Amino acid sequence: MKVLRNILAASTLLVAATASAQSGQPFIHDPSTLAECDGKWYTFGTGGGGIITDDGWNWHSGAERPGGGAAPDMIKIGDRYLCIYGATGGGLGGGHAGRILTMWNKTLDPKSPDFKWSEAVEVCYSDGMEDQDAIDPGVLLDPTTGRLWVSYGTYFGTIRLIELDPATGFRKSGNKEKDIAIDCEASDLIYNDGWYYLLGTHGTCCDGVNSTYNIVVGRSKSPEGPYIDNVGRDMYHGGGKMVIAAGDRKTGAGHFGRTIIDEGVEVMSFHWEADFDMGGRSTLAVRPLLWKNGWPVGGDQLKEGTYEIESERRGYALELAVDFVRMNVARAGGFGGFGGGQQANAAPPQPVAEQKLEDVVSTWPSGNIPARIGDYMFRPHQKWTITAVPEAGGYLSNPYFKITIAGTDRALAATEDVEVTTVPAFTGAPEQLWRIEQLTDGTFRIMPKQIPGKEGTNTKYVLYSAGDSTPTLAEYDFKSDNSKWNFRQH
Amino acid sequence: MKHLIAIFLVGVPLALSAQNPVIRNQFSADPTARVFNNKVYLYPSHDIKPPVGQRQDWFCMEDYHVFSSENLTDWTDHGMIVTQNKVPWVRPNSYSMWAPDCVYRNGKYYFYFPSSPNAGGGFAVGVAIADSPEGPFIPEPEPIKGINGIDPCVLLASDGNAYIFWGNGRCAKLKDNMKELADDNPKSTVKFGNREMEMIGANCLEGLPNRQAEGPFAFEYNGNYYLTYPYVRENTEVLGYAMSKNPMGPYEYKGLIMAEHANGCWTNHHSIINYKGQWYLFYHHNDFSPSDDKRRSVCIEKLYFNADGTIKEVKPTMRGVGINNATEKIEIDRYSEASSDVTTQLIDTVNTFRSYQAALPKKGSWLRYNDVDFNSLTNDSYVIISVKASGNTAFSIREKSATGKVIAKVSLDNIVPPETPNAPAGGGMMGRFRRDMRGQWLTQTVALDYVPKGVTDLVVTNDGDAEIAVDYVLFKNRPKYFSPSTAAPISPDSEGFIHRWMLLDPINKPNSGNTVFTDSYLRDHFNREYFKGQQTILPKDGQKVQAVFKQEQAPAGFGRGMQQAPAQPEVKTVKQTLTWHALDSENMNVKLFRFAEKYGEQVYGVLFWAVTIIDCPEEIKDVRLAVGSNSASMWWLNGEETLLLSGDRRMVKDDAMSKRITLKKGRNVLRGAIINGPGMSDFCVRFLDEKGNPVTNYTIINNK
Repeated sequence: MKVLRNILAASTLLVAATASAQSGQPFIHDPSTLAECDGKWYTFGTGGGGIITDDGWNWHSGAERPGGGAAPDMIKIGDRYLCIYGATGGGLGGGHAGRILTMWNKTLDPKSPDFKWSEAVEVCYSDGMEDQDAIDPGVLLDPTTGRLWVSYGTYFGTIRLIELDPATGFRKSGNKEKDIAIDCEASDLIYNDGWYYLLGTHGTCCDGVNSTYNIVVGRSKSPEGPYIDNVGRDMYHGGGKMVIAAGDRKTGAGHFGRTIIDEGVEVMSFHWEADFDMGGRSTLAVRPLLWKNGWPVGGDQLKEGTYEIESERRGYALELAVDFVRMNVARAGGFGGFGGGQQANAAPPQPVAEQKLEDVVSTWPSGNIPARIGDYMFRPHQKWTITAVPEAGGYLSNPYFKITIAGTDRALAATEDVEVTTVPAFTGAPEQLWRIEQLTDGTFRIMPKQIPGKEGTNTKYVLYSAGDSTPTLAEYDFKSDNSKWNFRQH
Repeated sequence: MKHLIAIFLVGVPLALSAQNPVIRNQFSADPTARVFNNKVYLYPSHDIKPPVGQRQDWFCMEDYHVFSSENLTDWTDHGMIVTQNKVPWVRPNSYSMWAPDCVYRNGKYYFYFPSSPNAGGGFAVGVAIADSPEGPFIPEPEPIKGINGIDPCVLLASDGNAYIFWGNGRCAKLKDNMKELADDNPKSTVKFGNREMEMIGANCLEGLPNRQAEGPFAFEYNGNYYLTYPYVRENTEVLGYAMSKNPMGPYEYKGLIMAEHANGCWTNHHSIINYKGQWYLFYHHNDFSPSDDKRRSVCIEKLYFNADGTIKEVKPTMRGVGINNATEKIEIDRYSEASSDVTTQLIDTVNTFRSYQAALPKKGSWLRYNDVDFNSLTNDSYVIISVKASGNTAFSIREKSATGKVIAKVSLDNIVPPETPNAPAGGGMMGRFRRDMRGQWLTQTVALDYVPKGVTDLVVTNDGDAEIAVDYVLFKNRPKYFSPSTAAPISPDSEGFIHRWMLLDPINKPNSGNTVFTDSYLRDHFNREYFKGQQTILPKDGQKVQAVFKQEQAPAGFGRGMQQAPAQPEVKTVKQTLTWHALDSENMNVKLFRFAEKYGEQVYGVLFWAVTIIDCPEEIKDVRLAVGSNSASMWWLNGEETLLLSGDRRMVKDDAMSKRITLKKGRNVLRGAIINGPGMSDFCVRFLDEKGNPVTNYTIINNK
């Protein structure tokens, strides 16, 4: 037990660095939209290869893409993966004449016997004389029509839209290019709730810690535009509303990709030009993608710290089911202290000390204590410390966390009967590890890694308000506030 | 400035255009062409590769498409019109939708097609009827009674009757309903081995060369009826014909329209039309399937008659017919004529629809491609050509002959990589992207030295020491960015943007990137004097200034942050003679990059000066100057600093605003300096009122 504690303490020190970035070797530039294959996630960058994660959090090299060139995008259509990438262009090795190609593979796993790229076919090009630079494709399979759209281009001229045949990956016969934006690059298209969104990367690329790269968006009712920003400005005139820019010791957000994990659970992948905690290298970022008033907004990485865990259902707080310990602080100023002038001559008010853990901890049972939801009174049994457990792996956007009562090792845990309790000490057991994801509406879902007695990693059951006062584990439902929680510091 | 850009490129057929074969993204055979509504409609059979379970070395056709064209070069595929499993009488999955025809009569389009019937027994011929030549065609539930055979052709004769021909030259009259044979057709009894069959109609090829005759196509011209048909003269099919004064004969054999295919393609099948006064022969050949002559493609040639009404024999060509617009993709490998050493072959023997390439093996080799229309090209145009080479070499595109006027000269200097690929040959970053381009398809883009007028012939000549192969050529006009300012004052556009500017040739101002453009840098560098009267001049078009200034030398290799911090720069004194240009921008953003490309010594690492004169009929108060610029810029209204945009900027509409200012009555002078490192420099300027609405009630003067 003691040994374990020491390990945990040591790893906690590392957390400050690792909890805020993808773990392992997440080094990439111009990452493609995350693609899932046999339970692993892949992203491909400029150059030849890409990186892989088995759990969504720890990344390693090993993905393979032939053809070189720059800035691929990847999409699964049916049972095949379509890779689209730019060869030359971008001012590299021959000016701004570029071409964009597509190729298919049945798998992304280079070790699979099925791993074989089809011959790449060209779908568009820039001839070097135009205000156009055919690299940086971003692809959208329109969920309403099944049509396959590609935006591409750089600062050297326009962002262009073309249509491909989703059955072949070839250019759709007779399709003509359409200019939809200027002054951005690394664009991507997404669809949400009746709107098409064009995301572009603005600012200075490829200048390390000085890169101002940032991701902006405009939207349209048609995939063919016009894409208008939040002040009514066309992206064809340089418009764009910020989605994500520098912060958290990282600069230069570029090359957006959207991944829908579940209903209401979305992440965006992109790169940082420079991660100050990773030697200023270019790293992969996976952040929650929120939707606010019809606009995509980059969510923050969940930070370690002590929080109220507030139910979206009632607004009550997750707490230990222990006796409420009254604080013996005399009510000041008579009954209620109301009334003008009554206290005019009284001494100035003094701060009241909060209830402390040591004031109450002796009243708590020593074994498992069930969880409950109640009025938030900022009492010790309601304060939860969220700490990353990086050695436990993670999922897209975060490592697993332990959720402990502040100042103690008492940890929230799933039980075999699919309820929730607290155990006196965190042991690292999978039912004590929690997957915390910010939902598109800004709330969070909280999900145990495993439920005792159930096989495999849990992806279904979340911390859930069975009643206003009663937490349980139940199937995630984005439409129900019972599935949702807020982390509040106040 | 002449760009020469090399990239790989493999052609993907996107549009169907020009040259033989005319349908380039799928197989097509047995072409029946018809003229409806002044357009040519093409109803071919549709060869496909046999699916699993079908005989792999036999004809395989499951449906029909219809194509149309107004110029015989651009063909539109209107899609599938009749398919085997949606015709009640056709045996499912029989893949026997053979040669069809389509005629217009009494307000309807009648599409005739043979197939294998449910009932068994060889082939029957059915009809599908539509209101438009493109369909939708509704098939009749039963085939035409009395026809047992293939390859229907319907002749609408001047005697008022419709005749249907089929099989090996049999002909019968149709009823007015076009769906049944007439009752008064001749009948005969024919023996097939031990079986006797009653055959309706006349056998028009009886006694004529008719071995394995099929695919009859009949037409009427100058009082004669022509029955044209494929038959086997020796080993494979030729197209022959016979003439008569009556639709149902007797016919007299007259000779060949087309001899056997040189490559042994066993079948040929055809139709003949007159379109806009010219006769054309449509036929087929297995261009996209040289090893399997059951997958064929439609070709077209011009056809001519002799004075006595006989037909001149037609030779198949690669070039085919029609005039190509220079701005379309032209498959020059389908040449009209070439030096004897030129050869053609498929680019890809698997994906044959990538079509052909023509190899010009040595210096002096040439090919000519006839009839290209240059009418839509401006003087500012360029050519894109798909080419590969066995080594560093050069070639020319010329007009009319191998010694004709040079339209464009293309140098292929970077085919062979530097000896040590890792050495920074060609300079740093660029060197790393250099690859072995030998035998790779490249797209060469080059400005034209000379723009032909009208319709002319293109010639490619190999001028260098390596073999080249060409695939296609395409001409493009460059976009227009500016026109000379007109004498009359102009207004801002409806959004308030100012299109009229006096622009000075760019001052060379190397820098290591755009992030160096801090406020202090800009105030320092913009307030230095580059030329006399920098802040007071009201220049005229063509006016020259002498610029003398100290220039800080940036390290070589611009852009994308290759240099984080330039070392202590070397400073040189530079003299430049610069010219002012009075220009009206075609766009809301003034494309300085393209201005520099045309007038400047360099396009990156440049400083531009711009002046415009605004004439206000009255004082306009409380407006703001709204600017977007790539990259940093500084603006002065009537000599007062009004706005500064610092840093690495893009041209964003209304990026930065001045404080509230007043445009005085009469002339106001707006002056700007725009500086850029890497990237495409441009700017947009307008005035906005307190509510953010564009100010447009003034004019912009050309200071003549």
